[in-house]
Amino acid sequence: MLLFRSEQHVDRWCKQWNRPRGGILSLEQGWRLAKEWYSDRLSPAWRPKSVSEAEAAFARIGLKGEFWKLSV
Amino acid sequence: MPEKVVEGNRKSRRPRRDSRPRLSGRSQLDIRNRYPRQKISVNFDARLRLFIYRHLIAKCRAPSIAEMARHFKSQKHLDVALQRLCASHAFVLQENGDLWRAAPFSAVPTAFPVKVGNRSYYGNCIWDALGIPAMLGQNARIDASCGCCNLEMLLKVRNGRLLGSKGIIHIAVPARDWYKDIVFT
Repeated sequence: MLLFRSEQHVDRWCKQWNRPRGGILSLEQGWRLAKEWYSDRLSPAWRPKSVSEAEAAFARIGLKGEFWKLSV
Repeated sequence: MPEKVVEGNRKSRRPRRDSRPRLSGRSQLDIRNRYPRQKISVNFDARLRLFIYRHLIAKCRAPSIAEMARHFKSQKHLDVALQRLCASHAFVLQENGDLWRAAPFSAVPTAFPVKVGNRSYYGNCIWDALGIPAMLGQNARIDASCGCCNLEMLLKVRNGRLLGSKGIIHIAVPARDWYKDIVFT
C-alpha cells in the first residue's frame, strides 16, 4: 500500500514491477480508512473486524467492487 | 491504569458462589475446563495487546520477548498468547521471535516514518502510517514519498483532519489476498 504522486506514477510502478493495476484510493479515503480501522485499537474490548464488518467499513468510504471483497 | 480498573470491575461483578446455578459434577468439571480458561486467555490477550501498544507508544520501540515475559511472569502463557494475537494478522513476529508488526506500528524502520509530538514511529505502509495518528487521536507528520520516483510527499494530520495533501494510494493486492503475502501487501 503505497503513496504516489499521480495515476501516471502508479502505472509506471506497475509496469516496472510487472504487476496489474490494483485499487486506487484518494488520500481522503485513505485517511477515513485509517480512522475506520485503527481509531478503536487501544480499547481493551477491541477485536478484529469480521469479514462483513470490514466490507461494511470499505463500503462506507466508497470502496466497493470485487477488489474490496473479502468473502469468497 | 485502565487495566486495573477493568480488573476491579470484573471482580466486583463476579457472581457470589451461592448464586451460581447448581450443576452436576460432570457439568461443573466441563465448565471449569472450558469457560474459565477461555476467559483467562481473552483477558491475557487483551492485557498483552495493550502492554505492547503502550510500550510502543511510550518508548517508540516494541517490547522484546524478554521484556514481555518479565512483565507477565510467564514465558509459556506469553508464547501462546502471541500466537493467538498473530492469528489476527494485527501482530506479526520476526524469525527471531521478536515483534515485526503491531499494526499500525512497525517494530522495524520503514519508508513510512510518523512523527507525533517529539516521538517517532514507523508505519508498515501508508494506510498504517495514517493509522498511527488515527489510533492516537493526535496531530502527526508523515514523511512519506512517492512509491515510484521517491519524491518527498509530506502529509500532516491536524485536529483530526488530513491537511492539504496531494497524491493517491495504490493497493496492489485484492483485499481477500492481503494476508497471503503480508510483506508484499
